[in-house]
Amino acid sequence: MGVRTTARIVGAQLRLSCLEALAYRVGFWSDGVVGVLWGAIGVIPLLVAIEHRPDVAGWSAWELMLLSGLFMVVSGIFSGFLQPALRASMEHIRRGSLDYLLLRPVSPLVLCLVADFAPWSGLEIIAGISLCVVSLAKLGVSPSFAELGLAAAVFAAGIIALYALGIMALALSFRALRLQNLTDFMETLLDFARWPTSAFSGPLKAFFTFVIPFAVMTTRPAEGLLGRLDVSSAAVAVTTSLVLMSLAWILWRRSLRLYTSASS
Amino acid sequence: MAQPAVVAKGLSKRFEVARRGAGVGAALRALFRRETEVVDAVVDLSLSIEAGERVGLLGPNGAGKTTTLKMLAGLLHPTGGSLEVVGYEPRRRSPDFLRSIAMVMGHKRQLSWDLPAIDTFELHRVVYDIGREDYRRRLDQLVTLLRVSEIIHKPVRTLSLGERMKCELVAALLHGPRVLFLDEPTLGMDVSMQLALRDFIRAYNEEHGATVVLTSHYMEDVAALCPRIVVIDGGALRFDGGLGELTRRIRPRRRIRVAADRIPELAALSELGAVIERHAGSLVLDVEPGAIERVVPELLALPGSRDLEVRDAPLEEVMRELFDRPTEERG
Repeated sequence: MGVRTTARIVGAQLRLSCLEALAYRVGFWSDGVVGVLWGAIGVIPLLVAIEHRPDVAGWSAWELMLLSGLFMVVSGIFSGFLQPALRASMEHIRRGSLDYLLLRPVSPLVLCLVADFAPWSGLEIIAGISLCVVSLAKLGVSPSFAELGLAAAVFAAGIIALYALGIMALALSFRALRLQNLTDFMETLLDFARWPTSAFSGPLKAFFTFVIPFAVMTTRPAEGLLGRLDVSSAAVAVTTSLVLMSLAWILWRRSLRLYTSASS
Repeated sequence: MAQPAVVAKGLSKRFEVARRGAGVGAALRALFRRETEVVDAVVDLSLSIEAGERVGLLGPNGAGKTTTLKMLAGLLHPTGGSLEVVGYEPRRRSPDFLRSIAMVMGHKRQLSWDLPAIDTFELHRVVYDIGREDYRRRLDQLVTLLRVSEIIHKPVRTLSLGERMKCELVAALLHGPRVLFLDEPTLGMDVSMQLALRDFIRAYNEEHGATVVLTSHYMEDVAALCPRIVVIDGGALRFDGGLGELTRRIRPRRRIRVAADRIPELAALSELGAVIERHAGSLVLDVEPGAIERVVPELLALPGSRDLEVRDAPLEEVMRELFDRPTEERG
C-alpha cells in the first residue's frame, strides 16, 4: 500500500472519528475540559520537584520543562491517536467486527491504528509544543538545523517504538480477548517519560531504554534540542525502535493468522 | 467457458476452543489450567459455484455455514484443502480479491453507529478508491433501488433494523463486487422488509451478474432467492443441487391444498394421503407422488371444490426432516 493511499485512508478515518466525537455535544465539551485539566495536573509533580531542588539528575528547571513539553506531545499522541485506536480495535477483535476491517482492500493494521481518535488530545500536543518553544527561549538555546534534524529523528523513533508496543498489545489481544487494560498500563508506564533517563539507574534505566523505551521518547529528543545528543545514542534509539517494530510486525502477522472471528 | 466464482476442494477448518464446567469453582480452575477441545467446523468440503449463480447454504446451527462463508471471504484461514474465489486464494487477502467481494452479516454492523450512513459511505469511497463520478452514480442507483434516499442522512442508531440493513447493503455494494456473501441478511426483520431485501438481492444479481452465496435461517429467503441449495451438516456437505431435487429426495410426498363446501370425514381421507390440516371449508393433504393422478380428481369431485393447489412440501419441513434423521441416513 503506497504512502499516498495510506495518507488518504488515515485522513478519511480521522474525519469519521472527528464526526463521531462531534456527534454528542456534551461529551465533546466534557472531553475537552477533562483533557485540558489532565494535561495541567500532570505538570504539578514536576513543579513540586523543581521548587525543592535546583535540578533533577543534572537537568535544570527549564530543561525539565522542555522534557515535560516533549512528554506532553508524546502523551497527546498516545491518548489522542494510539490509545483510542487500540481500545476500538480490541473491541472489534472481541466482538468479531474486525471482520469488516479485514474485508477492506487495505492494510488491516493501518485500519486498526486509525480505528478511533480523540480530537481534544490535539490540545495537549499544541500545549506541549508551546512549552518546548518557551523552554528553549528561556534557556536561550536555538538549535541548529542538524540538531533539530537529529532531535526529530530520535523523536520519530520514539513514536515508532510507542506504536510498536501498541501493536504488540493489539496482537496479544487476538489470544486473550480482554486486554483493554493493557492500554491503561501503557499509559501508566508512559508517565516515566516525564523524567530524564539519568534519573533512573541500573536495570530500570536499561528497561526504559531498550525494553520499553518510554524514557528515550522524550530524553533523547530533548538532548538533541539542547545540543547534547551524540550520533551513537541517536543510533541506539533508532535501532531499538526498528527492532521493536520488526518484532511487533511479526507478532501481528502471526496473530492475524490465528484470528477466529466471533461466531454468528 | 467462464471461470467459476468459487472452487473449493477438500476444504477443512479446525478450531481449538476452550471449555470449562459451570460455576465459580470451574471458572477459578480455568484461570490456572485451561481445558480445550478440538472442533471440526468444516470437514472435507468440495464445492464449485459458477459466476452469476445464487446459492443458498443451509444447515442447522453450528453446521459450519458461517465458517465456510468466512473462509470464502478470506476472514478465516482454512486448516486444509484448497480454495479459489474469482481466481484468488482468499486467505492471501490480496487487494484485488477484496475489491471483488463483499460480505454482509446480519448480526454485525460496519456502519458508524452515531453517524449518518452517508459518512461511512464516504469512507468506503476512499478505502475502495472509487472515483467521485462512479461513486455518485452507484450511490444514486443503490439508494433508488433500496429506497433509502432519506434515511442515509439520519444517524444509524435511529434507524430500524431493516433500514439499517439496507444501508449496510449500500455500503457493501458501493465498490461493485463480483461476489456477494450474505450471512443472515434478513435476521430479525419483518416480512415486508424481508421481501424488499430479497427483491433487491435478486435484481442486483440479475443486473450485475454477481454471484450470491447466502445463509439464512429463514427458509423463505433461500427458497425465493436460490435456485441451488448446498446443505452442510456437522461441517460436511450433505446435499448440493436444486431445491426441487432436495425436496423430492427428502420429502417426495406432494402437498395438496383444496377448498370445498363439504370436507369428508378423517376416515375417508386416510385413503387419499396424510391429513395435515382439516377445517370446515378446507383441506391440506400430503400425497405420495404416484397417487397424485388418482387423488386430484377425487378432490376436484368434492362438492364446491375450488382453489386446488399441488406443491412441494415447505422447505422448513424438508430441512427439519433431513436434520431429524440419523447422520448416516442424511447423505
